[in-house]
Amino acid sequence: MEKDFLENRLNINRRRFLSRLSLGIGSVALGSLLIPDLFSGKGDEAEADFIPGIPNFAPKAKRVIYLFQDGAPSQLESFDYKPKLREMMGQELPPSVRGNQILTGMTAKQASFPLVGSFYDFKQYGESRAWISDMFPHIGKIADDICIIKSLNTDAINHDPALTFFQTGAQQGNRPSMGSWVSYGLGSENKNLPAFTVLLSKGKGNGQGVYSKLWSNGFLDSIHQGVQFSSGEDPILYLKDPEGLNRHERRKMLDKLAELNDMNYKEFGDPEINTKVQQYEMAYRMQTAVPEIMDVSKEPDDIVKMYGPECLIPGTYAANCLLARKLSENGVRFVQLYHQGWDQHSNLPQEMAGQAKDVDQASAALVTDLKQRGLLDETLVIWGGEFGRTNYSQGKLEKANYGRDHHPRCFSIWMAGGGIKPGIVYGETDEFGYNIIKDPVHVHDFHATILNQLGIDHKKLTFKSQGRRYRLTDVAGNVVKGIIT
Amino acid sequence: MKSSHKGFAEGALFALNIFIVVLLVASDSLVVPRWLQPLGRMHPLILHFPIVILMLAMVMEFFRFRPEFMNEKLYQTFTSYLLVLGALLSSVTVIMGLFLSREPGYEGDTLLWHKWFGVGVAFTGYAVYLIRNTSKYTITLAKTGALITVLCLLVAGHLGGNLTHGQDFVLGPVMDKTKEAVTIDQALVYNDLIKPIFEVKCLSCHSADKMKGGLMLGDSASIMKGGKSGKLFIAGDPAMSLLLQRVHLPETEKKHMPPAGKMQLSDNEKMLLYLWIKGKAGFNKKVTDLPATDSLRMIAAAMLKPAEGAAEVYDFPTANEKDIQKLNNNYRSVYPLARESAALAVNIYNKTTYSGKVLSELNPVKKQVVSIDLNKMPVKDADLKAIADFENLRRLILNFSEVTGNGLKDLAGLKHLKSLSIAGVKLSGSDIKQIAALKNLEELAVWDTGLSASDIRYLQNQNPKLKLLTGFKDDGRVMKLTNPQLKDAAVVFKQQYNLQLSNPIKGADIRYTTDGSAPDSIRAASYKPGVVLTQSTVIKARAFKAGWQGSDTVQFNIYKCAYTPDSIRFIQYPDSKYKGDGAKTVIDKELGGNNFGNGKWVASQKDLAVMIWFNKPVYLHSVSLNTMRNTGSQIFLPAGVEVWGGADQEHLSLLSSIKTASPLKTDDFGLIPLACKLKSAQRVSCIKLIAKPIKSVPAWHPAKGKPGWVFVDEVFLN
Repeated sequence: MEKDFLENRLNINRRRFLSRLSLGIGSVALGSLLIPDLFSGKGDEAEADFIPGIPNFAPKAKRVIYLFQDGAPSQLESFDYKPKLREMMGQELPPSVRGNQILTGMTAKQASFPLVGSFYDFKQYGESRAWISDMFPHIGKIADDICIIKSLNTDAINHDPALTFFQTGAQQGNRPSMGSWVSYGLGSENKNLPAFTVLLSKGKGNGQGVYSKLWSNGFLDSIHQGVQFSSGEDPILYLKDPEGLNRHERRKMLDKLAELNDMNYKEFGDPEINTKVQQYEMAYRMQTAVPEIMDVSKEPDDIVKMYGPECLIPGTYAANCLLARKLSENGVRFVQLYHQGWDQHSNLPQEMAGQAKDVDQASAALVTDLKQRGLLDETLVIWGGEFGRTNYSQGKLEKANYGRDHHPRCFSIWMAGGGIKPGIVYGETDEFGYNIIKDPVHVHDFHATILNQLGIDHKKLTFKSQGRRYRLTDVAGNVVKGIIT
Repeated sequence: MKSSHKGFAEGALFALNIFIVVLLVASDSLVVPRWLQPLGRMHPLILHFPIVILMLAMVMEFFRFRPEFMNEKLYQTFTSYLLVLGALLSSVTVIMGLFLSREPGYEGDTLLWHKWFGVGVAFTGYAVYLIRNTSKYTITLAKTGALITVLCLLVAGHLGGNLTHGQDFVLGPVMDKTKEAVTIDQALVYNDLIKPIFEVKCLSCHSADKMKGGLMLGDSASIMKGGKSGKLFIAGDPAMSLLLQRVHLPETEKKHMPPAGKMQLSDNEKMLLYLWIKGKAGFNKKVTDLPATDSLRMIAAAMLKPAEGAAEVYDFPTANEKDIQKLNNNYRSVYPLARESAALAVNIYNKTTYSGKVLSELNPVKKQVVSIDLNKMPVKDADLKAIADFENLRRLILNFSEVTGNGLKDLAGLKHLKSLSIAGVKLSGSDIKQIAALKNLEELAVWDTGLSASDIRYLQNQNPKLKLLTGFKDDGRVMKLTNPQLKDAAVVFKQQYNLQLSNPIKGADIRYTTDGSAPDSIRAASYKPGVVLTQSTVIKARAFKAGWQGSDTVQFNIYKCAYTPDSIRFIQYPDSKYKGDGAKTVIDKELGGNNFGNGKWVASQKDLAVMIWFNKPVYLHSVSLNTMRNTGSQIFLPAGVEVWGGADQEHLSLLSSIKTASPLKTDDFGLIPLACKLKSAQRVSCIKLIAKPIKSVPAWHPAKGKPGWVFVDEVFLN
C-alpha cells in the first residue's frame, strides 16, 4: 500500500518534472529569440571586438606629434617653479616629504639628500602667467597655446621600463606602441605614407638608448609598426629600387609577386600574406611620396628662422620637428620623435642648458607653424619625458654643479592643440616639488586622454591576443576632463 | 480561483523566473526588437500593481501564523492567491524593466541597483511562495522572507522613482540648491566669475547681517555704493581702486583684506577682480561677448564648463556605403568623422595625380562632406566652383594651393563654412573684400599670404568674431649661421679632389683658407664650385650672410694618398684591444675620427711597426702617418717615426725619420698628420714603418713614468 502511494507521488513528480522542464526550456527558447548569440557559443566575443579604422565619436584631434624628451628632463629646471628649494638649498629633504618612496640604486646609499633649487631663473609668460625657466624662452612665447601639466606620475623609476610604459602602457615591452594603437584604431589618412613614423635625434647630454621595441606593433598586425625615418641619404632603408631597375619594371615585378602571394593566400589563408602585399604596395607609393617630404629646400626663409638654421641639417632635433610637421601635414597619424640626452645625474646646469638649446626653439616653432597653417586644432602636440627628477642633489652639491636622480612621483609635460585647453597649467605639486597635491595625472590617464582627443574610447580600443583582450590603458585610465575643451 | 488556474499560474511563474535568469545571464547581448519596446516602456505603468499586491501579500504572510488567523480558511487561501499573483506580476514587471533598460539613456549605478533590487523582489517573492507550504517553514522564516521582500520592494521603488523623476525629486524642494555648473556660452562675467569670489571669501563679514566697515557685497547696488572708506572701484582703473588696494596690501597690514587668518584670495581670483575692473565689465556682460583673446575670457575658459553641444549634430542623410568605398583610392581618402556619423571628411594627396576631377567625382557624397583637405595641391579657381557645391562644408584647407583671391568669392555660398586655411596662397590687398564676404567664417589662417597688417585689421573689423591666424613674424633677431659642410665625411684621395662645400642656408657665402689661418669675410677666398685639390690640405671654412651672425670656423682635413700598397702586415703587433681589422686598417682610406675605440684605430704602448709591399716599384716622396693626440687618455704623438725602404725586406735602408717635441700639459686634443719627407724620391717595392711611443709619460701627467700610447688610423704614401 505504502509503495503504491510512493509510486503515485513519484508519478506526479515525474509528470510535474517533465511539464516544468518543458516550460523551462520554452522560456529559454523564448529568450533565445531576443538574444541572437545565446546558443551560438560566441557569447559576448562578437559584440565586444573593436572595429578598427573609425573613431568611436567625432574626434578633436586627427593626428599626434609626440616630442619625446628621452632620459627625463628635470621638471624643476623647466616648468615646475619651486622657489622654496632655493631658499632651502643644501638642507636635508624632510623624511616626511619623501615618505616611503623607493630610490634608485644610484642614490639609495647616499648619506645625505641635500635639496637643490633651480640654477636657472623662472619668468611668467603669456596671459596664463605660467612660470617657465629661462632655458626655454621660445616655449615661454607660446605659453598661451600650451597646457602645462605639472602632475604627471608614473609607476617606473628606471629609463627602460618607464619609457616602455609611456610608449606601450606596460613596462615589459611586448605590447603595441601608442602609435600602433592609433594606427590600428583610426587607420591611415594618407595611403602613401605609413600611419606611424619615428624620428630620432641626439643631444650632447648624458643619454639613454631608444630601441625599436618602443615602436613595435606588438600583437597587432605588422602594418601598424612604426617606420623609422633616418637622416642619411636613404631616409627609409631598402625603399630605393636597386640600380638599373626602373619604376615600370618594379611595377611589373610587384604585380607578378602579388599573384604568387595571392595563390599562397588562397592555399594557406594566412592574413600576414595580405599584409605583406599591402606593405609592398605602400612601399611602392612611398618611393614617390617620401622624397617630396624629405626635401626641405623649398621651405621659405621665415620657416628656417622660426625653427632655427639647424632645421636644415638632417638628423637634428630641429630638422625632425620640421619633418614632423611635413609628415603630419601629409596625413601621418602619429609622428614620434625622440631626443636623447636628458639624463642629468650630474653636471645638470650645463648639460641641461645644451639640451634645452637643442629643443626650445624648434618645439615652439612646430606649434606656431601648425597654428599658422590652421592645423593646430586637429593636431595634438605633446612634449615630455618618461619621469621627473629628484629635488635633492645626486652626488656633491655645488652652486653651479649638481645632479638629479630619477623621480617618478611628479613631473611636467606640455600639450598643445588637438582640443586641449590652451594657456592653462594643470595640477600642483607641493612646495618641495616632490609630491602631487592637486589633480594627479597618471600615465594611464594621459593615454586615455590622448585617445579621447582622437575620438577613441580607450575602453573600447581592444585587441584579443592569446585569449585575452588588451587595451593601451590595460585596466585603468581616466580621461582628464580638466584639460580638454 | 480554480486549482487548475492556480496550477497554470504556478507554471507561468516558473517559466517567467527561468526567463528572467536567461535575460540576466545574457543581459549585455540582449537585443530588444522594435515591436517589443512598447512592452518595455509599460514597465513604469505595471510596476504599481506588484508593489501594492505583493506588499499586501507579504503583510499577510508576516502575520500568517498568528493563532487568530491560523484557522481562518479565507485568510490562508487569500494570502496564497495574493502571493502567487504578486509574484507573477513582479516577474512580468522585471522582464519589462529588463527590456526597457536596453533602450538608450538608461545607464549608471542607480539603474544597476534598481535592477538587482527589482530582481530580488521577484526572486524572494517566488521563493517565499515555493517554500511556504513545506514542513520546515517556520514563523521566523515567514517573517524574514516577508521583511526582505518588502525591503527590496521599497528600495527598488525608490531607485526607480529616482530614475524616472531624477535624483532627489522628493526632497528637492526643501533641500539647499547646490550650484549648477555653468557653461561658458551662458556665463556672465559678474554672476559666474566675480560673485562666487565675494560669496566665498568676503560675504561672511560684508553681508547685510554684518556689514563690517559699512560695506555690503551681496548685491550690485551695494557694491557700487561702497563702504565707509568710499567707493570700491573706479571702472577701468584698477590701480586706483580701493578693492584691489586692500587685496594687494601685505598680509601683515591691518587693512589688508581678507584679514589675516581668514581664507585668502588666490592669484587667479585677484587676477579676475583686476581684469573685471579694468575691462569695465559691469554686472551684465556675457563672457562670450569678450574677444577670444581677452585675458578674462581665457581664464574663464579654463574655469568654466565648455559650451554644451560642442559636438555638432548633422541633419543630412547618410551616404551610400558603396559610394564611399568606390571614392576611396590611394590618393583620396573619404571617411566618416566617427562611427555612425553621416558626416564625411576628404583628404587629397599627390600633386602629380591631382586634377579637378578628384573633386567633381565626389558628387554622390557632396551633401555629406564637411571637411576637405587640399594642402599643397595645385587647386585652381575653377575647382573652387566644384567645392562650392559641398553645401555642408565646415572646414576647407587650401594652404599653398594655386587659387587666387578672386576665386575665393565662389565660397561665399557655403553657409556652414567655419574654418578656412589659405596659408601660402598669394593674395593682395584687393582680395580682402572677397574674404570679408565669407561672413560665417570663425577661423581663418592667412599666414604667408602677403596681406599687410592693415588688411588683417580690416578683416578683423569686418568680422569681430573671426579668429585670424597670422603666424610667425620675424622679430629681426640675429641668428647664427650653421657651419659649412663638406660633402664627404672624411676624405682620402688619390690624384685630385673636387672640393664641395655647402651650407643649407640659401645665399650663405662660404669663405675658406688652405694655409691654416682663420677665414674671415674679407680676405679669405669665397668658395665657388670647381676648386680642385691635388695635395693634402687643411681647409678652414666659415659661412657668412647679411643679417646673420657668421658661423663657427670648421676644419676639414683632406688627405692625398697616391699609392695603395698591395699587401701589408704587422711586424710588431698592436695592443689586442686596438688592433682594428688587422694591418690593412691603416691603408683602408677610412679615417678613424674622434672616437679611438671604434675599431678604426690601431694602437700600442710599444713600437708599432708595419711592413708594406708593392708588386711594382713606386717612387716614394713622402710618408705621412695620421695620429691622435688625446692627453687625458694618455695618448701622445709618437716620440719618433722611422721610414725604411728598399727593393725587398732584406735590403732596407732608413729613408727618413722624424722626432716630435716632448708633450706639454697644454696640448689640445687633435688628429695630427705626421709627414716624413724623403730627401729625394726613392724607387721602392718594400717599406717598413715604425712609430715609437714616448717611453715615459712626463711628470705633470697622472700616469707619469708609464709608457704613452700611440694611435694611428691611416698611412698616406705619396
